[in-house]
Amino acid sequence: MSTSRDDFGIAIRSALLQRGAKQKFSLFVLIILSLSIFVLDSSNLKAVKVLRSLVNDGIYRISVISSSPIKFTSSTKNFFVNHILLYKENEELKLELSELKKSKLRTSYLEAENKKLQEIVELDKNSAFITVGAKIMLDKNSPYLNSAIINKGSNSGVKLGMPVLSKGHLVGRIVEVNYLSSRILLLNDLNSRIPVVISPSGDQAILSGAGKKSPTLEYLPENFSLNSESTVYTSGKDGVLFSGISIGKVFQGDDRPEVQLFADPNQIYLINVVIEKSSDLEAM
Amino acid sequence: MAINVKTFGDGFLRILPLILLIYVCISEFHTQFYYWSIFSFNLQFIIIYYWILRDPSILGYGFVFLCGVINDVVLSLPMGTSALSYLFVSLSAAYVRNATVRSTLITDWFTFLLAVIIGNFITYFLLKNFTEFKIEYTSMFFNSLFTFILYPVFWGIFELYKRSINLKTYD
Repeated sequence: MSTSRDDFGIAIRSALLQRGAKQKFSLFVLIILSLSIFVLDSSNLKAVKVLRSLVNDGIYRISVISSSPIKFTSSTKNFFVNHILLYKENEELKLELSELKKSKLRTSYLEAENKKLQEIVELDKNSAFITVGAKIMLDKNSPYLNSAIINKGSNSGVKLGMPVLSKGHLVGRIVEVNYLSSRILLLNDLNSRIPVVISPSGDQAILSGAGKKSPTLEYLPENFSLNSESTVYTSGKDGVLFSGISIGKVFQGDDRPEVQLFADPNQIYLINVVIEKSSDLEAM
Repeated sequence: MAINVKTFGDGFLRILPLILLIYVCISEFHTQFYYWSIFSFNLQFIIIYYWILRDPSILGYGFVFLCGVINDVVLSLPMGTSALSYLFVSLSAAYVRNATVRSTLITDWFTFLLAVIIGNFITYFLLKNFTEFKIEYTSMFFNSLFTFILYPVFWGIFELYKRSINLKTYD
């Protein structure tokens, strides 16, 4: 018994402290270093926050560049599948066709982007809010956070807690601001909680992310009755989000009312960060 | 000149698993496939465990730590969370390497289960006790399950890779 315990101790000690032929650091040193970084990062010191913000900006940029082959592959996959037979017919035709299709793909991409940008410009003109347009840089989901990175940060006036719209509807709010980039917490994330008002009944509730596509409504009044016309808006009761931003339609979910979002958080590409309410609306 | 090209080629092949690990951590490579909502796996765990166990000269602990930090930044987790998790997976692999004389797929696979549990427990413990993150337990469970199930597939791929390039073990 004691021999097996000794063996275990020797093997663990060896694994922790031994560096081996090609290792520059022992596991023990790195574990202590990781713990120190974790403690520093959790301590909310200003210097650490600034440092983390710089690291975030740097890594997000590298991440966007390294993701470009994946994005390129997915956008050209259909093109290659549809035209693989043509490639076999003739070498010259293949090159010509490839170039033509690529330029067509580029043009249609630019057209789509142009259309979306026009929508955003229109939204800026008509919206009750003063917004800043931004593009999704990274959309990496994990079991812990359903969020996206945008290409606007504190240099464009983005601040923590600001609401984020897609085609005029709420999709999330800003939870992390760096100098050149920010992170949006999407409405369907498990950590998302938004105070809302349901129209036309005027009932108040909390829109709570459930980790799936449709968030749920919590803390509804006991006599709440579901109406097919029930629409959810921000109530602004938290003092952070502006009131009256449309979110989605209410429907009966498996065990509680859920909200079908007007803007699908998984399909967003160009968004607007609400900086402030327009003065015309405030005058009303 | 030919020797230099060969040396460069060999060197590149040796660091390819490391490049893959860094790429998976830094890029928008989705190990979460949303067209089948429950399917996701942790490729980082598989790469780290396999290479630390079979040939630690390929994957330095320092790089494992660095990849953890990068992953934390990309996923917006507190810095050091993934690094600790990855280092504990490395520790499990290093322990198994020291404690066993001859490893097979079955022994690797069984011990990998323990490594996945330890790695995810570290993440869970840190997030649950020191942050306000809410964790999707079902998602985490399926992630661990599929990571475990897919290990033999990647074990086979990495074994073939190791044999095809005839890696010389330094340790």
